[in-house]
Amino acid sequence: MNAPAPRTFRARLRAWLRPPRTLRVTRTGRTYLVVTFGVGLGALNTGNNLLYLLLGMLLSMVVVSGVLSERCIGDLSVRRVGADAAFAGEPFAFRWAVSRKKGHGFALTLSEADVPLTGEGRVGHLPPGTEAIVRADLGASRRGPMRLTGVRVTTTWPLGLFAKTRVLPVEGLLLVYPQRSFACREPVTSELGPAGESGNPRRNDGTGDVTGLRELAPAEDARRVHWLKSASQGKLLKVEREREERRTYQLSIESGLSGDGLERRCEEVAAQAHRLLADGHEVGLDTPSTSLRPATGTAQERRILQALAWLGFEDTRASEAA
Amino acid sequence: MSARPLRLRLVLRDVGAGAAFASMAVSGQLPLWTLGLFGLALALALLGKRVFARRAKLTAVLLLGVAAVLALQVMSGAMNMVVAACAFAGLIAAHRMLSQPDATADGQTNLAGLLMVAGGAALSGDMVYGACLIGFGVLSSLALALGVVEGAVPEGEPVPVRGVLRPLSSGLAFAVAGAVAFFVLFPRLNWTVVGPRSAPGLGAATAGFSDTVRLGGAGTIKGNPRVVLRATLTPDPGLDALGAYWVGRTYDTFDGQEWTSVGAPQKSGESIILRPGSETLVHQRVELLPAYGGRTLVALEMPARLGNALVHTSLGTRRTVVQRLGGGEVRFVESGISYTYEAYSLPPNAEEGSTGKLSRAEHDQLLALPEGLDARVAPLAAKVLDGEREPLAAARKLAAWLQREYGYTLELSGEVADPVADFLFTRKAGHCEHFATALTLLLRTQGISARLATGFFGGERVDGAYLVRAGDAHAWTHVLVPGRGFVTVDATPPAHRPTQSSAFVQRLLALYEALESRWRNSVVDYSFRDQVDAARALVRPPRGSEERTPSRLPPLRAWVTAALVAAVVYRAWRALSRWKRRARPMEATRFVDAVEARLAQGGPPRRQGEALEEFSARLAREGHPLTPALTPLTRRYLEARFGDRPLVTGEAARLLESLNRALEADAARRRAP
Repeated sequence: MNAPAPRTFRARLRAWLRPPRTLRVTRTGRTYLVVTFGVGLGALNTGNNLLYLLLGMLLSMVVVSGVLSERCIGDLSVRRVGADAAFAGEPFAFRWAVSRKKGHGFALTLSEADVPLTGEGRVGHLPPGTEAIVRADLGASRRGPMRLTGVRVTTTWPLGLFAKTRVLPVEGLLLVYPQRSFACREPVTSELGPAGESGNPRRNDGTGDVTGLRELAPAEDARRVHWLKSASQGKLLKVEREREERRTYQLSIESGLSGDGLERRCEEVAAQAHRLLADGHEVGLDTPSTSLRPATGTAQERRILQALAWLGFEDTRASEAA
Repeated sequence: MSARPLRLRLVLRDVGAGAAFASMAVSGQLPLWTLGLFGLALALALLGKRVFARRAKLTAVLLLGVAAVLALQVMSGAMNMVVAACAFAGLIAAHRMLSQPDATADGQTNLAGLLMVAGGAALSGDMVYGACLIGFGVLSSLALALGVVEGAVPEGEPVPVRGVLRPLSSGLAFAVAGAVAFFVLFPRLNWTVVGPRSAPGLGAATAGFSDTVRLGGAGTIKGNPRVVLRATLTPDPGLDALGAYWVGRTYDTFDGQEWTSVGAPQKSGESIILRPGSETLVHQRVELLPAYGGRTLVALEMPARLGNALVHTSLGTRRTVVQRLGGGEVRFVESGISYTYEAYSLPPNAEEGSTGKLSRAEHDQLLALPEGLDARVAPLAAKVLDGEREPLAAARKLAAWLQREYGYTLELSGEVADPVADFLFTRKAGHCEHFATALTLLLRTQGISARLATGFFGGERVDGAYLVRAGDAHAWTHVLVPGRGFVTVDATPPAHRPTQSSAFVQRLLALYEALESRWRNSVVDYSFRDQVDAARALVRPPRGSEERTPSRLPPLRAWVTAALVAAVVYRAWRALSRWKRRARPMEATRFVDAVEARLAQGGPPRRQGEALEEFSARLAREGHPLTPALTPLTRRYLEARFGDRPLVTGEAARLLESLNRALEADAARRRAP
């Protein structure tokens, strides 16, 4: 799979050719312009001065609309707060922090420019000197690193006739995790029994039923001391509890996969890892480029998702690391 | 968008639509039932009663029914197409105001308002239209802006109304100024203005001339302050109160109850000549306003020529012909809302010389008396005249006697069998028609030819023109003086000749008329010629200014130009100041580049890849003499580069200078043995 093209020539050309502001006529604006055109024709045709006056009013409103919208988006600064986790194929929360030094901003719509991300965030009023956090539910169609080049800010202020857009250059990278699809089969690689000290099911260091008391050995966790019994016996006694069975899985993605096959496998592994980790098992991952040792918890899931997201984009990762 | 629409926005939207409808309604051409329907809809909308919210389709069918009614009226010729379209736009707006207030309804209401304002421009030329236009523009823009912000505010959060209104208000002020600038500067491609000059207004016309003058009834017209005539005179008499007679027509036959005149309609044409002219004639550019309500041309006594007439209708302005009728009346052939024409009259105190084109029958009627004339009238006249036979002297003697012995009143007893006898011998009070009739008949009983003239008396100067009100309607007597023609003699007491309306109302109306006149001259009648004149006035002083006493102060345009230049200079100075104070990009980087260049030239050697701060720290550890100069310089660089404390103007040069001095001192120390 190709990397997301770190500033290809086409992207650079498009960014270079992009005007500093783009203007789109809204539906209301189209009607307004048609009526203005009609009034202009009527004024020229009849010479009715009142129609000239009305025409002047309509055209002045267009000019004032342009000036006010420019003042609205002209002095903005935006930074990305980002997303906690972005999954392909499902909406994820994304945030920007937008502020301006002076003057009010109204009816601002924020979105990411030139990337296949859908969704936008809105802020109705942005007072001067304050930073507003704008939240949006974005959607990404595919996994992988996504190079963010700018934030598109659009406003229809003041009259809703035109939507003026400005792209503020803000570089960034969004790593989109694979979609966690249905995992219909069990992972083939699983290890029962102890796998190192933490994987011994006979260890009574769990959180289940009480199995007994024994004297606290040196270097053991003092938090397990039963203080009431210890006080009655005159020595430190440790509570032993049953530990649930924990298995160890080493998930893997076979080499040689590409295209849809790779995508489906990534989604399946992501779903398996999520389910297994949620059940308390240890999960590791082997990919052609990365190997993760088995571990538990949300941090491990994050590591697995990151590894899956980068899969196929190793070149980009290397350039990012450089 | 918030769950409940902002009430203020809806109120602004609805009132804006009301202003747009008012811009059409002031023309007085919309059917009354549409006024009622829209008013009802506006009242309900302002009360928040959206009665059509749940019956959108059913009420849309009703709207189609109303459209069908309007179409039928248009096809039957009962209504103008433009008026019908405007009325329908108003009803659409009314329907939308009462519908569910969503974005679609908002857009359609504003669009209907825009169409109504455009329709108002076609129907009305009144100054009120300008106020309605500005009202609609401001209110609808505020509603639109609030709608835009409301749509972006998350549900449950308040809409920042004050924050919206402040910048938008200044923007709207600029929009109005821009509209005026566009209006003034946009070149007019039409030499003639064919838009409506005036609308009939909401009140009924109260003046006008009929074929008869019937004595009796109440003189309510004398209290009517509406302006019926506006005239510009050349040469301009320059008087504030003209006090002139404006004649419409004359009557020569009295049957005891009412005046009529003999004479058949005569030729029609673009111009009618009533008397031989001369070079001293007074030219009048007369505009008969909608309140006039008649088709008879009016001119200063004694009119010599009338014509060059334009008729203003709801469909526009066109040239029309005039026709001469009996009684010296000249009438427009076509009916219209208002008229414009030119008239030439003999100058005041000029003698007519001959009776013009009076026929034999008309001459004979000047001595005719009604059959049932009270027998006491002739002896009364003879007694008052006391042997005076010269027509003008006799007429003036009788007029003075009537003014002295009889009272003026507008409260009459109504219809009586013999109004002349009732006036002369019973009530001894009446209005101008009684005085004029009495004088005419008294003169005729003594063999002196006379006739009744009707028209207006007065002329109030407003903005260079003379206004005549409906209350100025008047009647007087024309006495035929051999060798001089008809001479005006007025038997009505002078104080009661002009309008009898309230002085306060007259002052208010005079103020309105002055504004209306400015509006008409500056807006409605603004043309390419005015643009050329304005441009010419910028490069050369206006014609006639050299005749005035030169002022010690500079002219107004000099002040305006100076103010503009001052504003430009101020703006340039502000921009230059901001430019000088601007934060220069990469200033810290350029500064450290300069520092490193100087250190490379004459400083102690640096290690490979050693940053400035590391270099500075190393020199400090070693106690190098450059340390006192290099340490603050390094700190300021780091603050400027990473600490958001940019270098102030001149600071970099000052720091570099101190570094240079330290480097030179260090070099001198090293050279020393």
